[in-house]
Amino acid sequence: MTKLGQWLWGLALLGSAWAALALGPLGPRVPPPCRQVLLPLPVYLLVAFGCYSLATVGYRLATFNDCEEAAAELREHIGAARADLRRRGLRF
Amino acid sequence: MATATDQVVGFGLVAFSLVLFVYYTIWIIILPFIDSDHGIHQYFLPREYAVIIPVAAGLLLLLFIGIFIAIVMWKSRKPVKKSD
Repeated sequence: MTKLGQWLWGLALLGSAWAALALGPLGPRVPPPCRQVLLPLPVYLLVAFGCYSLATVGYRLATFNDCEEAAAELREHIGAARADLRRRGLRF
Repeated sequence: MATATDQVVGFGLVAFSLVLFVYYTIWIIILPFIDSDHGIHQYFLPREYAVIIPVAAGLLLLLFIGIFIAIVMWKSRKPVKKSD
């Protein structure tokens, strides 16, 4: 089975479990506070995943290692290559 | 080392998402188990908003992404050549 198939299968399982507990026949047997937590659970998981993604992006942005000398060296190479190509007749 | 701006923005994002996560978790998961006469409930909107606000924000996000894609595609049209 492909990865997509696995993900969809897992989502379908969890989704049907949630639907059975929250919307389906077992509804009234769940104690009221648990019911109140259960109903918004998909939205909660989505928001939690969004927060995790945002935090990961922010953290990797903050801890990224710039290489100043490599950047300067690359700019130099680019300038030299441009001058060389311009000399050989290529118009930018 | 990332530049100072990058670090500020990055850690700011981390702090913001942490605050958001904690607030939302308390709202959805913890509050139903606290008696309704406790003072903490005054800091949280009624429960319907806990679903309406993220759904509305998600739809807005999709709208902006769609508008962005439309603008980029519009700008990258090639002019149609007329052949006489």
